[in-house]
Order: sequence, then C-alpha cells, then structure tokens
Amino acid sequence: MSDIYSIVTSQKLSYEQKVVALAHAAEDTLSVLNIPERTRYYMESGVICNLNEGNAPYRPRYIMPDYEKAVRQGVKFLELDPPQDLDELLTFLQVLYRHVPSITTYPVFLGDLDRLIEPFIDGLSDEVVKRKLRNFFIYLDRTITDSFCHANLGPEATRAGRLILDVDRELEQAVPNLTLKYDPAFTPDDYAEQAIYTSLCVANPAICNDVLNRKTYDRYGISSCYNILPIAGGSYTLTRLVLPRLAAMTDDKQEFLTKLLPEAMQCMADYMSERIRFIVEKSGFFESHFLATEGLVERDRFVAMFGLVGLAEAANHFAPGKKYGTDPEADDVAEQIMQAISDFVAHYTCPYCEIADHRLLLHAQVGIDTDHGITSGIRIPVGDEPQSIYDHLRHSARFHRFIPTGCSDILPFDITGKQNPAAVLDIVKGAFEVGQKYVAFYASDSDLVRITGYLVKRSEIEKWNSGQAVLQNTTQLGAPTYASAHLANRKVRGV
Amino acid sequence: MAIVRKLISQSTVDGPGNRFAVFLQGCNIRCAYCHNPETQAMHDDEAHEMSVVDVIRELEHCVPFLRGVTVSGGECMLQPEWLTELFLAVKRLGQIRNHPLTCLVDSNGTIPFSHYPELMQVCDGVMLDVKAWDEAVYSRLTGAPSNQVVRENLGWLLGCDKLTEVRIVCLSGRVDVETILENIAETFDSIGRKAPVRLIRFRPQGVVGELSNHPMPSDEQMNNYARFAHELGLGVTIR
Ligand code: SF4
Repeated sequence: MSDIYSIVTSQKLSYEQKVVALAHAAEDTLSVLNIPERTRYYMESGVICNLNEGNAPYRPRYIMPDYEKAVRQGVKFLELDPPQDLDELLTFLQVLYRHVPSITTYPVFLGDLDRLIEPFIDGLSDEVVKRKLRNFFIYLDRTITDSFCHANLGPEATRAGRLILDVDRELEQAVPNLTLKYDPAFTPDDYAEQAIYTSLCVANPAICNDVLNRKTYDRYGISSCYNILPIAGGSYTLTRLVLPRLAAMTDDKQEFLTKLLPEAMQCMADYMSERIRFIVEKSGFFESHFLATEGLVERDRFVAMFGLVGLAEAANHFAPGKKYGTDPEADDVAEQIMQAISDFVAHYTCPYCEIADHRLLLHAQVGIDTDHGITSGIRIPVGDEPQSIYDHLRHSARFHRFIPTGCSDILPFDITGKQNPAAVLDIVKGAFEVGQKYVAFYASDSDLVRITGYLVKRSEIEKWNSGQAVLQNTTQLGAPTYASAHLANRKVRGV
Repeated sequence: MAIVRKLISQSTVDGPGNRFAVFLQGCNIRCAYCHNPETQAMHDDEAHEMSVVDVIRELEHCVPFLRGVTVSGGECMLQPEWLTELFLAVKRLGQIRNHPLTCLVDSNGTIPFSHYPELMQVCDGVMLDVKAWDEAVYSRLTGAPSNQVVRENLGWLLGCDKLTEVRIVCLSGRVDVETILENIAETFDSIGRKAPVRLIRFRPQGVVGELSNHPMPSDEQMNNYARFAHELGLGVTIR
C-alpha cells in the first residue's frame, strides 16, 4: 500500500513510469506460481533473483518479432498492409513497435533495421533517406524511453546500414541501441571501421561475433542488454543466480560446488520451469496475442535464460587474496564453477524450449542498479583488469565459451582511437578470433556511456542525481550503477 | 643481439592498423626537436640487449590482434642485420599462425635501403622521415652534414613500392615544409607513383635544449601546410 502510494505521489517518476510501476505492483498482489520452501529461502536471501519479472507472467520477458515477415505479409490485427515505400515502412514499424509487449513494456528488439530498410531506398538520395531516418530515430528515442531497446545491423554492408550509422552519430541518442553483427567473411573492413568510428563518437553500435553467435540458432537477433535470442521467438524468462551471495554461505569450495550450487541451481531451474509453464499454459499469450496468432512469433522458438552474475566475486571468495582476471588460481576456481553450472544445464530438462533442445541457456546477466560489490556476469571487476587488453580479451574468451545467450565486454578507449578505427578493428578481429563473443566500446570523453549493456548520457545522470525528472528510465538505473560499480574507473584502453 | 629501448604491444601511431612496435636504442643524428633524446646514445641504462627470439616471445601472444610489426628508434637501420633476422622470424610466425603480419620500418633515411636487399625482401614498407629538403636547413636541424641519402631513399623506396608513408615534422622557422612538399611532389611525378604524406605537428613534450619551449604550430598553420600539399596533388593527413 505505502509502495503504491509512493508511486502515485512520486515527483521523480514520469506519468508513463508511474503507470508501469503500478501495473507491476498490481501483478505482484497475485501468487500463482508454486514456489517450494527451499526456493523461497534462496529467493529471500537474494541468491535467486527474478529481476522483478513479476509474480504472474502474462507475456514472455523478451520478444523478438519476425519483422521481415510482418513487412512481407502485413499485420491484420493492426490493420496494416505491407508497406510500399520508405514512409509507409517507417510508419508501419512505428505502429508495430508500439504493440510489442515486453518486461519493460517497450520493445527490446527492433529488428535488422538495415535489412528492413534497404529494399525501400532505391532511387532516394542519401539526404532524403537520412532526413526520414532522423525523424524515425527521434520518434524512437522519445517514445521508447528505455535504452534496453535494440536494433541490429550487418553482417553485410548495406547503404541503409551506412546511413543509419551516419544518423546515429549525428543524433547522439541513447535509443536505439545498435549492434553490428560482424563476420570478416561478409563485413568489409571499411564498413566495420565506420561502425567503430561511430562507436567511439556515440558509444554505439556494439560489435557482435557473428561467426560464434550464429552457431546458437539459425536466425538470431540481439536485444536488450545483448541477449542473443531466436528471431520469431525470444525468451520466456530471465532469472539469475547471484553467485557471490551463494558463495558467502560457505568458505568450503567443495561444499559450494557439490552441495550449495547444485541445490540452488535445481531450485532456480524448477522456478524457471514454473514460470514457463504459467506463460504457456495459463497466460493465454500464445493463443490470443496477434504476434503469435499471425505467426510473427512461434511458441517453439522461445528459450529461457539461466542468468548468472558475480562470477568474479564468487571465484575470489574461494581463492582468498587472489583476483579473478589476473591470478590463475582465481580463474581456475571460476572455471570450475562455470563447468559445474554448464554441466547442470546440459542435463536439466525444461518444458516448452524446443529450439534449445529443452535446455535452459546460460546468460551472463549484467547486473541491476541495486547490486553492490557484484560484477556483471563473468566480467572482470573494474580496477582488476589485466594490464594488457589482449590478456583481458583472452580471459573473456575463456569464459564466453560457456555462454550462448549473451555475454560481453565493455571497453572505454582513449579518444585517439577515433583517429585509427582500423587499429581498433584489428583488436576486435583478434578478440573474435580467440573466442570473445561481443564487445562494446566508448571513448573516454563521450557523453554517452555504456552502463552494463545499455546506454546512458552522463549529462542525464547528473540531472537525475540533482533530483530532476528525466525522460529515459534507464537513466534511473544507470545513475546508481555508474557510481556503485565505479564505472568511471574502468580501465581506459589507449590506442 | 640488438639494443632495444622498449617494446609496445599495442600501437596505433606506428603505421596502418594495430601494431607491435619495437624501439631500438641509438641514433646517428641529433634532431633539435627529438622528443626522445634518451634514445640517441648507442647505450643507455634503460635499454637492453635482446635477441630476435626474445622479441618473438613477447610478440607471440599478441599475434591475433595485430596487423603487423613496426621497428622504430632511435634509428633502427643502424642494426640492419638484426632487423632482417627479426622480420624473417615475424613472417615465419605469421605463417605458422595463419595470420600474416606486415613488417614496417620507421627511419630517418640516413642509411641507404638499396644496400640491404635481403632486408627489403622481408620489409613491407618504410615510413620515411623527411626532416628538411635544403641541405643547410637539414644540417642546422640535425647536426648531420648532408641529406643526400634521404633524398635518394625517397626515390628508391617509391620506385620499388616500399614507401608506406612520408613524414614531416612541421615546425615553422626550422623546417622548410613547403620546399619538402614541392620536392616530394616532384619526386612522385618523376617516378609516376604516390605515397601518403603525414604532417606531424611539432610538440615540445620530451624535447630538451633550444626547442624545449618552442610553441606548437597552430591549427591554422597546419591547415595551411595541408592545403599547400593538396594543391600539389599530395594526399596528406595531419597528426
Ligand atoms: S632521427 Fe629520431 S631518434 Fe634520431 S635524433 Fe632525430 S628524432 Fe631523435
């Protein structure tokens, strides 16, 4: 009650933010999931965290509509015919995005924008296309006020892709997040360099290792905080295991690996299965939502993301005095933990996850604003990064290989990188060659910074910190995280 | 063995792409604007003898991230046999790893490259400093009597397509930038081939002696040089 009252009377929340918060509060008055005693214990102690997904899920957490199919066949429910020109396409997408549900109520995936737009720009000059794209992007930034929203580019270079990068650089917005799928066999160097240059100006796009990531599913997209998910599907849920809180329950590594960890994983996996079952069997989403009934998502293309966070602190806990990232002892403990988790999910059968062979898929969860002293997923804590960027990236690769549905590094680069994007591309190529899966960067002087995956403007953080309302929800999440995770101290990589 | 000042595993200012840079100790001239005068003497407490194998050991784990290796100085052409051996080893390493590496030299051009055919076979290109064109200007700047060899190197390297870049450190009053540019353009025309030209702004950091407080050329000055070069048909970048 007092919670709801404080939502209603808040002066820091915008009107839309209040509506969303109130809906969450309403959902949480229900108790429809069967949660055993032991699971409750782990949830109450913060070991298992459902990331505020709500007590009665009525839609999958992340939805990746097949926008190409929608553009081809139109959307009956929305009374939209297939678009015939660029204006119609952009309007079509704006309307459709507005109706894609998600955990945040905003679409987390906007599609392969370059591929969607490319067929509609023949015969239009660059200037004309850019003007239209600019308006489109401004609309997205001001209405999807949450930078978990993500559009994809590549791997092929397209004129549309280049124009999107130009517009992105000119506008300096937090939305949409962009990722370039990169495959040296298909992505020309000059295009990748343009993307990197853009990234060093406006912290966008990130670069995804297409060669490794496309092994996970036939067609994938990147959504939200670099979730790698099937297109025409998505993820029912993302629940996470907060490893440092579990590690804190014992000093005995063996007990951790053979007792606590298996028990907590079993509880979490069962809980996730329960959520999946509720969405599929009870919520009515797949029977009634137009995305499902018109074939823009398919039930059997949904997966469930088994998140983990704070591998670094857990490893350090069992290797006292050593540091994950630079000490082999701590890294080896981390590898044992990852192996145990990986073995568990390889054997656990969950319902309704056909595309993943009925397995839960691991995800390096990036953290939330209330995490303190817990490092994102499998990242190296800020301040403990190896001296050499190559060692850093090799370290990432060693742990990225366990994670199919998203893991990444964020590297701030010295501003001189802007003068030599080719050099940064060489580093990206090397990273991907050794098995790193996804990398994002920003220049050390950039207003836009990546918090844990999403983008926030430093200037907006200052506004929020001084008590003013801000447009982007993610600023509210980013402001405390930027401070508590000491992100300003990330090791800046000179080039 | 060579006397090595330092190794840098990640450099973006020593040629195209990301490069492993080797700085050799010792130089045969004394530029007034030298910003690492400590590399000039042939020996220094902070430099160590290193074999090719020692360098390769440091290089090995960087290979996937690199476009190649650049050797600089000091003046690296004072140790040409070692340089040849190093480049051979780098090429071999690139081959074994299935990741071709380019080998570049950054030189003041006072040693004739034509005398080292074996080196030039494994060297992909040279970044050549043209410090002055007029001999008197050159002598005053570097303490060396003549720049005849530098001029010859310019033509010779271009002729065999090994001129990766020409570099001019711009410092008005002490460097005849326009004259250098005119003569570079003339050399390019006579040989019928071009190479990129980089105009480097003089910076007083690290400089000792008479130029240690000398101001940097203004943006306007640098842009004027660039415009002048452009009018001569040269492709220039400013750093
Ligand atoms: S050639 Fe280079 S190292 Fe030698 S004195 Fe001149 S600037 Fe210094």
